[in-house]
Amino acid sequence: MKIIKNRVAKLSFVALLTTLSAAMLHAPTASAHGEKSQAAFMRMRTIHWFDLNWSKDEVAVNETMTISGKFHVFAGWPETVDKPEVSFLNIGIPGPVFIRAGSWIGGQLVPRSVSLELGETYEFKVLLKARRPGDWHIHTMMNVEGGGPIIGPGKWVTITGSMGDFVNNITTLTGETINLETYGLDNIYFWHAFWYALGLAWLAFWIRRPLFVPRHIAITSGKADSLISGTDKKIGIGFAVGTIAIVATSMGMTAEKYPVTTPLQAGLMRGIQSLEMPETTVSVKVEDATYRVPGRAMQMTLTITNDGDAPVRLGEFMTASVRFLDSDVAEDETGYPDDLLAEEGLTVSDNSPLAPGETRTVEVTASDAAWEVYRLADLIYDPDSRFAGLLFFYNEEGDRQMVQVDAPLIPSFI
Amino acid sequence: MSASQSAVRSRAEAVQVSRTFDWMILFTLFFAVLGGYHIHYMLTGGDWDFWSDWKDRRLWVTVAPIVSITFPAAVQSCLWWRYRLPFGAVVSVLALLLGEWINRYLNFWGWTYFPVNFCFPSNLIPGAIILDVVLMLSGSMTLTAIVGGLAYGLIFYPGNWPIIAPLHVPVEYNGMMMTLADLQGYHYVRTGTPEYIRMVEKGTLRTFGKDVAPVSAFFSGFVCIIIYFLWHFFGKWFSKTDFIEGDI
Repeated sequence: MKIIKNRVAKLSFVALLTTLSAAMLHAPTASAHGEKSQAAFMRMRTIHWFDLNWSKDEVAVNETMTISGKFHVFAGWPETVDKPEVSFLNIGIPGPVFIRAGSWIGGQLVPRSVSLELGETYEFKVLLKARRPGDWHIHTMMNVEGGGPIIGPGKWVTITGSMGDFVNNITTLTGETINLETYGLDNIYFWHAFWYALGLAWLAFWIRRPLFVPRHIAITSGKADSLISGTDKKIGIGFAVGTIAIVATSMGMTAEKYPVTTPLQAGLMRGIQSLEMPETTVSVKVEDATYRVPGRAMQMTLTITNDGDAPVRLGEFMTASVRFLDSDVAEDETGYPDDLLAEEGLTVSDNSPLAPGETRTVEVTASDAAWEVYRLADLIYDPDSRFAGLLFFYNEEGDRQMVQVDAPLIPSFI
Repeated sequence: MSASQSAVRSRAEAVQVSRTFDWMILFTLFFAVLGGYHIHYMLTGGDWDFWSDWKDRRLWVTVAPIVSITFPAAVQSCLWWRYRLPFGAVVSVLALLLGEWINRYLNFWGWTYFPVNFCFPSNLIPGAIILDVVLMLSGSMTLTAIVGGLAYGLIFYPGNWPIIAPLHVPVEYNGMMMTLADLQGYHYVRTGTPEYIRMVEKGTLRTFGKDVAPVSAFFSGFVCIIIYFLWHFFGKWFSKTDFIEGDI
């Protein structure tokens, strides 16, 4: 017996040491939002986020920042994903490290779900107020009913200060100014503690007497009726009547204290204003497209026709939030996340200005490690092997045209 | 010691062992119910219980009592028929609420920093007390199901109103009216809980004007009666002693 006890003691000590050691090891914060795990076609063929701007890289607690930009709802929306008829402009952050102080699509506040139209482009803005210090990866995000979250690009933002200083003051329609962070907490704790105490009192009334063995013996010997006394019944009635009286009284007191209350608000918002985009005078036909797996590059043969009145050059191909730029034509000046930006990732076989009325067939290559890092190469495993994205053409004045491409993709393994 | 000999040597010792046994069973029962009931309630009541902006006058009132009367019915059935103890509902709800509060405080607030005034649990204790008292007075599972079950559904909303009413005060926010609870749901970002999955104020109960909560509560009470019946059979089944030899 002593040997067993010693062994148990030793093993327990080892287990304790192991647990303490494990607890002391550094556990890094999980900061990603699964954006790389989302199927490539979901990111390529649903919502395209562009012209994004994170107003600040660092904010103090209680300060605000905005994420603004545009998103294009892809006309070639995949069949396997429900259309964005019920969608919600969300924000991809690890819990409420910011509060969402406001969000707008087309200038309309959107605290509720909205209906979006395929092929339309919308302007959006999200106002965030810093709450919890730390380094956070902040993504744009659109939730689509039946489609799930469609996550956009993310950027690191640092919040400084102390969460204890955070306040969320709101003035109600009854004229009271409250801090929503702590509002009503005492009331919640009070009522829960009160009812819990009453429940415990009922339990204590019964468990102060012998319970299981003697009562079981009494029942099996036919004395069940003796187990509930007249006093028990009176006390029970007291508890029940007291409960009903307390509920009724507290309801009355609450109605007196909060005479104006409204039901929760819900509903779908339709008719969201889309953005009037400049008329497109460039048309693009995808002759073929291949993804070369070993080279981490996508090659497209495009026939481009310029029906406008000024020469244009292809400056950018954007897909799944990754931007491939031809640095001779376009540069990023918005501080776009580095890992999603291939500043020299776009090569065009002949990118001399395409004159008005001219048609040219060119080889376009979009290459960057982002294909692998962001698991876009996985599109070769998609059920509908297609690629899609936005092409941006620029004229000499820097004016931009956006053209959508959507075509089959052939993988090349050699 | 042979089988015919007693394990205790005196009546006092027998009483002591019996009491120790009481505490052991009660402790085990409390935490076993806490675990099972908590998982059940999170899976079935889930978001309606998690968030203040889901606690509406239609679906929360309907769903929460229906899915929460389950374990109280089963535990009552076991404790009443085996021991004539009428605290099955209260002990279940106390266990559930302890688990809920630990979860809300340590996980929702401690890990992810959702304010407690946004993620507090529903109060189920008034209904549980009524359920236990009805069983004790009537000694009938049928009457408890009908009277107690109905009362359990009916008392849920008024029992919670003092807690949620402050959060139903209206506010004007950027040109829209919403309640403070709506605003909490909007402010405190839930990446995995988009607005459209919030099941509130849905349904066709429009002919009762603004007084839909009592109608929802009555409907909930009726369904509670059925669910009580069903789950008291589970309790009976779980408290069988078929696996023990001899008459118990």
